[in-house]
Formats: sequence, structure tokens, C-alpha cells
Amino acid sequence: MARHEHLRNLILLGLLALVLAAAPNQLSVYVRSFLLFTMMYVVLALSWNIISGFTGYTSFGHVAFYGIGAYACAILVADYRWHWLASLGAGAVVSAVVAVAIGYPVLRLKGPYFAIAMLGAAEGTRVVATVWDSLTHGGLGISLPSADTSTPTYYAMLALMVLTIVVCYVVGHSRFGIRLNAIREDEGAAEALGIDATRYKLAAFVLSAVFPAVAGGIQAYKVLYIDPPGVFFVQITIAMALMSMLGGKGTVIGPIVGAAVLYTAQELTWVNFPSAHLIAYGLFIIVIARFMPRGLVGFAIDRGWVRKGMVH
Amino acid sequence: MVGGADDIRLDVRELHKAFGGVRAVDGCSFAVPRGKISGLIGPNGSGKTTTFNLLTGVVTPDTGQVLYRGEDIAGLKPFQVFRRGITRTFQVTRIFREMTVFENMLSVTGLDVPDRAARARADELLALVNLTHLRTEYGGRLSYGQQKLLEFARALMTDPDLILLDEPAAGVNRTLLQHLLDHIHRLQESGKTILIVEHDMNVIMNHCERIFVMDYGVKIAEGPPAEIRRDERVIEAYFGRRRQR
Repeated sequence: MARHEHLRNLILLGLLALVLAAAPNQLSVYVRSFLLFTMMYVVLALSWNIISGFTGYTSFGHVAFYGIGAYACAILVADYRWHWLASLGAGAVVSAVVAVAIGYPVLRLKGPYFAIAMLGAAEGTRVVATVWDSLTHGGLGISLPSADTSTPTYYAMLALMVLTIVVCYVVGHSRFGIRLNAIREDEGAAEALGIDATRYKLAAFVLSAVFPAVAGGIQAYKVLYIDPPGVFFVQITIAMALMSMLGGKGTVIGPIVGAAVLYTAQELTWVNFPSAHLIAYGLFIIVIARFMPRGLVGFAIDRGWVRKGMVH
Repeated sequence: MVGGADDIRLDVRELHKAFGGVRAVDGCSFAVPRGKISGLIGPNGSGKTTTFNLLTGVVTPDTGQVLYRGEDIAGLKPFQVFRRGITRTFQVTRIFREMTVFENMLSVTGLDVPDRAARARADELLALVNLTHLRTEYGGRLSYGQQKLLEFARALMTDPDLILLDEPAAGVNRTLLQHLLDHIHRLQESGKTILIVEHDMNVIMNHCERIFVMDYGVKIAEGPPAEIRRDERVIEAYFGRRRQR
């Protein structure tokens, strides 16, 4: 892609970051919180997209990394008196280590087998968090020391979102990203072209595990209470996948758009149809899947509004 | 006959591979001459494809050696084989459908060149096979013939030394086939070694200098086309034994 296009995209991202950075003081607590969650879902959808969109390994268990990050933050802040920002880094490291341990065996599986193994891995992590009383306080969950955390967590999430977007953008437009795509398209052919699929997949998997962990940590510090069912909630994984697919998985802009649209839709249906919001939400997803199987970005590409391919 | 060891690019020695009770390759040996176009033929089920997969690391041999530049590459993984300078195409093309033609070219690894050089090489090869105008089109939108050309061009990204072609003529029209064969000859003239697995007898007989014939997992004959055409064992393998008396 031409250099001026990268520059334009960088400026657009900078403007978005500036607007979001200026926003909190003028906004109600509700809107600020809404923005924070939207940014969190952008991070989650983009992360899921690295392994599942770019690389084609659909994960049904990515919430595990989110939960690990949340627990790392809660434990270190509540029990070990760490500074919360330092705990985010620790969460990322722990998550990366767990990703290697899970990914090494599980990435040998393909398609539905990988998806289900990941579902199992996430459930397993939740069970560990529930039964490992001495570390996690078990099913009781962890309360963090009370503090006004809404402004710092807002900025932390904004910074994380910008970082995630930049990393995904660089990966998506690099030869590394193309090779992940090649693995998605045909792993055997990719290996015949010199791509060490095992290493590439593991790298993508670890990368996709790091950002959700930081997001989970920030989230834990925002709400100041976590428990296993809350942070290892399977619906968070589903949201990552749906948002990514809605926007257009395998692209960079897709998961960003998807997260913003779907989270807004979810919030609107929740507010307007409290008793029927899941039905409205479900209908929305069905309509999208029926008419835009490749997501909003895929829809735009098919009509020639957006150029095909990431590298030009 | 093939001369000294220097004239041999790939020395296959006593390869064995069994799948359960089926001995797909059962002690197959042959030596691919350097800088020439060779052909590997045999009836269906004779073990050609398995042999090809053994050479490229897709399948690991039970026993036997594949010597390439003095190294036994049997049992290496496909990407390791590729990085040693051996490239292949597939019987049914395996281009990356949801990636553009240009991205297909750039996906190849093992080029220790900066991004700009890789892009230049990709464009050069696309021009060679007349696909420049489809550079930003998805691979899956190409006709089968164009996909075959793309796969061929993609296999040449790293300037490989040994090129293995799995049925290049399959599903390709005559004009395109001629086009491909011209490219293959040009590669050979530039010093590359080429091994073709092929069903199309015309391709094999007219373009290969040396032919290896397999049946039941072993090499049953070897020689230049004129010899192979008359070889009793080959005729028998393809058409069955002549009725006695």
C-alpha cells in the first residue's frame, strides 16, 4: 500500500484517539462507561481476529485470556498491593505463557476440533480459577480496594485500543500477516512454500492472547470486583467472534467497525427492549449473516468500495 | 547412464513407505540428473504421488534416503525442504483463494531479501506468466489455467534449484500447456533441475530426457523416452501382460 495511505490511516487513528481522549470530561458517567466498553470490545475483537481471522483458527475460548488478565490484576492489586498498571503487564506475560502452553498442543487441531478444544481450555481455566482457593479466593471472587478508577481505566483502555489497532495494522500489512493468511487458506500449500506453520500459528496465538489479558485487567480495575463466572463468561468469546465476523474478519478495520456497531446495537436493544433484547440481538445477527456473510467490509469489497487485499 | 555424483541432483535410495498394510512405496531408488528435465510415470496407484510426497516432506519415509546436495533430506518438514531450494506445484492447484494474486506471490518465505526486492521479483514473475493485469484480483476469481500459472510463478519466487511438478498438464488446455512447457524448458536452460510426475504420455515422452517408471511402489524401468516406449515391463504395467500364446 502506498505510503500516503498509511499516513492517512495514521492521522485518522490519531484524530479518533484525540476525540476519545478529550471526551470523558464532557460526558456522563454512563456514556463514558459505554465508550470504555466499546473500546474494550474493539481490543477483544481485533485480538480474536489475529488467530481466527488472519490465521483461520476459529477460537471459542478466547475469554480465557481475558479472564487470566482480570485475575492477574485483581490478585496482584488486592493481595500483593501492586500498582494496577504493573499488574496489567504481569497479566499480559502470564497470558502469553498460558497461550504457549495451550496453543502448542491445541493448534495441531483444525477447524471445529480446534474451536471445541479452545472452548474446553476456557472452561478449564474457569474451573481452575474457581477451585484454586488459596490464589483466587475461589467462587467468592475478589474485591479490589475501592477507589475512583473510572477516569484512569478509561485512558488505559484508550491507550490499549490504540496500541492494539497499530499492532494489528502493522501485522495485517506485513509479510508476516500474509503468511498467516496463507496458513488460513491452505496450510499444506503454505508449508510447501517454506512457511513454518507451527511457529507462525503459535506467534499469532500468543499475540492474540496478550491484548485481551490487558483488557481484562483494566476491566477488573474498573469494576473493582471479579468472580469466575463473570470474567470467564462464554458470551465474551462469542461477542469477540461475532463482532469480528460482522465487521469482516481477516481485515483490520472490520473488527473495529464490528465491535462498535454490535456493542452499540446490543446496548440499544438492551435499553429499549429490556425483556426482548436477546431476540432483537439475535435477529440482527441473522440478518447480517444472511446478507453480508463476509461482514461489512467484505460487503464493501465485493462492491468495489474497498480495495481487495491488504498488501498492494 | 547418468555419470558421476556431480551430475545427480536428487539421489533417492531405497525409499519405503507403508500405510497400514499397503506398501505404497516399496524400495524405490532413482537418481534425478542435474540440469535436466526428468519424468516420473506409472499407472494409477503405482506410488508416484507418495514418492513425490516423500521427496517434499509431506510424508515421512519408513526407511530410505533422499540425498540432495550431500544431505539426507528424507524426514524433513515441507518448509525445511523448500528452504533448501526445492519447490513444488500440486496436482490440483493450491493457490490461496481469498488472497490477491500479488499476496499469493509474497506469501512465499525463505527469501532473504528486503520487502522491496521481493515485490519487484513478484511483479517480474507475474509479468512472465502474463498475470500482471490480475495482480489485485483474488486468487479464487482466476480461471483454472490462470491459477495453474500463478502457482507456477509462486513456486519460482525463491529462485529454486530443483522444481517438482505434479501433473502440470492436468486440467490445462493445449495452448496453456505449451506456454507452461516453454517456461519449463527455459528454466532447464538456465540450469534448473526439473522432475515431472505426469499422466500425459505426450508431455513425458516429448519433454523429458530421462524417465523413471514406477509400478507397485518400485521403479521398474529407467531410461530415455525412446527406450521406455519399447520397454516390455512398462507396456505390461500399463496395458497388462500379453496373453500367452
